[in-house]
Formats: sequence, C-alpha cells, structure tokens
Amino acid sequence: MATAGEIAEAYADWQTRCNDNRRLAKMLRNWDRVVHLVASDTGDGFTVSVAGAVLADLETGLVGQPDLVVTATSEDFADLFWGDLNPSEKYVSGEIVLAGSSEDVMRLDAMSMVVFLDQ
Amino acid sequence: MGMRTAVSTSTGLAFAALQYLAAAGLVTYVAGDSAWISILVAGLLALLAWGYFGELNGMFPTAAAIRRYMAHAMDDRVALSITFTYLSTIVLVVAADAFVVGAALTHVLHLPAGVTVLWILALLGVAVLSNLRGIKVAGWVQDIATVVVLSATLVVSVVALSRSGTALHAPLQPLHHRSGADFVESVALGIFLYSAFEWVTTSAEEVRDPKHIHRAMFIAVCILFVVCAVMTTAMSHLLDHQQLVSAYPQLYLGQRAFGGAGLWLMAGITAVTAVNTFNGGFITASRFIYATAREGSLPPLLARLNDRAVPWVPVVGLGGASFLVAVAVEAVGGSSWEVLVAMGAALEAMIYAVAAYCVLRLRGRLPAQHRPFRVPLVRVLAVAGLVIFGGLGLVASVSVSNRFNPLPLVVIVVIGAGSVLYTVRQVPKLQAAEAARRAATPRRRPARPTGAPPPGDPPGTTVP
Repeated sequence: MATAGEIAEAYADWQTRCNDNRRLAKMLRNWDRVVHLVASDTGDGFTVSVAGAVLADLETGLVGQPDLVVTATSEDFADLFWGDLNPSEKYVSGEIVLAGSSEDVMRLDAMSMVVFLDQ
Repeated sequence: MGMRTAVSTSTGLAFAALQYLAAAGLVTYVAGDSAWISILVAGLLALLAWGYFGELNGMFPTAAAIRRYMAHAMDDRVALSITFTYLSTIVLVVAADAFVVGAALTHVLHLPAGVTVLWILALLGVAVLSNLRGIKVAGWVQDIATVVVLSATLVVSVVALSRSGTALHAPLQPLHHRSGADFVESVALGIFLYSAFEWVTTSAEEVRDPKHIHRAMFIAVCILFVVCAVMTTAMSHLLDHQQLVSAYPQLYLGQRAFGGAGLWLMAGITAVTAVNTFNGGFITASRFIYATAREGSLPPLLARLNDRAVPWVPVVGLGGASFLVAVAVEAVGGSSWEVLVAMGAALEAMIYAVAAYCVLRLRGRLPAQHRPFRVPLVRVLAVAGLVIFGGLGLVASVSVSNRFNPLPLVVIVVIGAGSVLYTVRQVPKLQAAEAARRAATPRRRPARPTGAPPPGDPPGTTVP
C-alpha cells in the first residue's frame, strides 16, 4: 500500500510534468474538471482540479462535485503518477474503475500518454 | 446520462438508415403483410440477447466490458479475433448509412446517380472532421434526433396505411405460398433491425444509475419492434417489388403518406438517422481501437492523439474504410447493399451467440461475482441462444435477396481469417516490443528507503 504522502509526492511530479507540457496545455484547453481519486485499499480520497489547462495541487479528501471518479489501489495511483503504469491496461483489466463521460476518460488517459510517452 | 438518453442512445444506434432497406428486404421473404411476425420473433430473440448483455454488463459495467467478459470466458487470442471481426460491423453500418442517405438525397433532388458518391464523401467528411475536432453530439440532441426519426417513421407508416383504404393481405399467414426456410431467413434478417441496441453498454460509466443501461436496452427493443412492425406492414401493403428492393423504399412510403412533401420529409429523416449512427459508430469504434492500441494489442500509431485528445488515426481510418465500402456499393449498383445487410445480420447473430457462450461460461468460472441481473434457466436459455443465433447467423450469411448467395459468408470469413492471422502473428510481436520498451525504461518511482516502515503500518514503527 502506498501512503497518502507517497501519492502526494508522485502527484506533485506528475503535476509539474503536465503543467510544463505545451502540447498537453492545448489538449486541456476548455477542459475544466474536478476529478476524485479513491484509493480502494486504504479508503483515502483525493481531489484533482483542472482549470485553465493547469492542474491544481492535490487536495486531500473528496472536495466538490466530481466530473470523473477514478477508483484504484493506492499503489496503482502512485505508479500511475510516476509514469510506471499504463492506465489503459489497468482500466481494460478492471483494476482501475472509472465513472464519468468517455471524453473525460480519454483526456485523463491522454495526460499520462502525452507526458510520459510524448505521443 | 439519464434514463431518457440511455433509451435514445440504445434505440438510435440500432435505428440506422439501413434499417429501412432491411425492413423492406424482409418483406419479400414472407407472404402478404405478415412481416411483423418475423419482426416479433426476432424481437423475442433480441430480448434473449438483452438478457445476456444485461448479465454481462452488470458484471462488468465498463466501456471495456466486451474485452473483459470475453477474456474471462475464452482464450484472449480468440476474444481479440472475434472483437476485431465484430468491429467490422461498425464500418459496414457507417458505410451503408452513408450510401443510403446519399442515394436518398440524390433521388429526391433528381440528381444524376453519380452524385451519390459526392454525398457519401461529404457526409463522411463532415463526420470525420467533427470527430477530429472532438465534437460529440450532446445527449439532448441525440434524444431529439431519435424521437424525430422514430415518430416520423411511425406517423408516415400509419398515415400511409390509413390512406390505402384496403384491408391487409394475409397479416397472420407468413407461410402462405412460402416455405419455412423463407420464414427463418426473414427472422435472421429481422435480427438486423435490432442490431447495435447493445452498443449502449459502452456508456456504462456515464449513466447515473447502472440499472439504466439494462432497462434502456429493454425499452429500446420494445420501441424498435413497434416502429419496425408498423413500418414493414405499411411497406408490404403499399410498395411494389421494385420500390421494396430500391435503395430508398422509405421515400416511397413517405410519398404514399403525404405526396411530394412526404418524399422530402423521409429524405430529411433519413439524413437525421446519420446523426446517431455516425456519432455513435465513430466514437465507439475509434475509442475501442485506441484502448486496444494502448494495451499493446494494436500498433502504437493507432493510439496517437491530436491536440483535442482524439485518436485521429482510427477516426481517419474508419472514415476511409467506410468511404471505400460505400463507394464499392454504389459502383457495383443493383441491390449490392443487401450484402451489407446480410453481413450485418450474420455478424450481429454471431455476437449474440458469443454473448450466450460467455454468460454460460462465466457462471462456471466466476460463480461468486456480483450479478445485478441473472439470466433465468441459464443452461437452457444460453444453450438455446447459442444454437439459435449460430444457426440464424449462418442462414443470414448465405442468403441475399431471398436467393442462396455465399458472398456475405465469404467476406466474413476473409475478415475473420485476417483478424485471426493478425492476432496470432502480429499481437505477440507488439506485446513483446511493448514489454521490451518497458524493460528498457527505468522505473521512475523512488525505491522506499531501507529501514523505512512498510507503508500502511502505524506511524512510528520501524523495520529492524
């Protein structure tokens, strides 16, 4: 299990990479969303907000009305933010569960792909 | 997504422009005005399939459900081969719809037949460009489009029937001067009228309540039965053989109901059907291809995104493939679109049979998994579905225009063989390449320092 601190550290790295990526800034244009992250094994909840193509700092707890809810193990969240895990693969295998529109799911996956695979 | 949009999505995806041609084609298989009986039987079989998809979608409420339940029920290579073959249905339906809408517009505007190709190009071009720009038809637009198409079709059919002034011909005798084989073929074709109602399961993550999908599919099958039954009754009663086998029987039906205005009305309605088909078809197929490429079963090129986070290669590829198929149908002429209908019916029956198999298999392999809906008498109903849908798929694949014609079967076998070949030869190479890439990429996550407490343990504890 990853601790909340480990997830926050991983997110901070991901946040920097995302916010520094010009291509991603174009992709996230007009995509202002609130994403809830729920760690299925620890029960921890986090909130990620995107506004003006910029990822805000990770908030602890489930804040506001989510557009997208992502449920995964704490380890998977940490690996995902460090870029060591392919979220699509975990999604297809059912280890990451999503609730939200298909466009939002695509954008979220796009963030991982663009910042780590540069595609 | 609420219940209303779930119903309109399920119904709208099934009710493509090609349904008009399939309904008219079905009429030629049975006697008099009794085609509704074939549609009723096909509808009851569609409800059997509804049961399968209801159970499977309840177990895996995700857009990736088809990959997951097939992977659990059978070898992954077989599952991938079937899925790739099934995906070709989307290309067929999009291509056929582009052709049907183009042919209808050409006819109503009294343009030369060759102009149909330009309509096809324009329709698919608009669909591809809007997809590339990330434009998705809003739920309420989809609701309105579906209601308009179904209501107009129903009203036109009822008005046309009421104006005919004569009693129905043999509405309860489908076998009058016909063989049992004709009736079976009409039922196989009838399956196509409901095809794609199950595509709404890919919206499982978007609904407010997961039960909406299950209920929506049931309501959609019932709505489709009513509209298609009334429409075929009107067509069988009012249209002659030449009109029935044309590429735009719905225009003649509109003409019988409201004269010249009816012709234009049905041309407009035919164009509106493309809203749902193109929107649903392009999005469903391109996102599925993207996800499959991301998991390493298709070339990475297919996972490339444009600046609007749209997988542009699958979108352009689907548009191109649909254009080629539609142009081929137009170039061959005659009733070549009937081959597409037969292929669509056969592939749909095939996927229903696969769903029946998965339900049965997963009862044994995943007995403890939560199932919000369970198919009753599963051994009987799943085996029955396997046999019936397998048989109907075979029948549909060797029959065109009420004559034996193995072309649909040959094309399906070629597509299926291509899928198998790709899955067996290329997928392992792609997976090995992806594994090598990952092995060569150092892990970014920092290792936990030696002596640090194992994560999850109470603070203050240390590892000796």
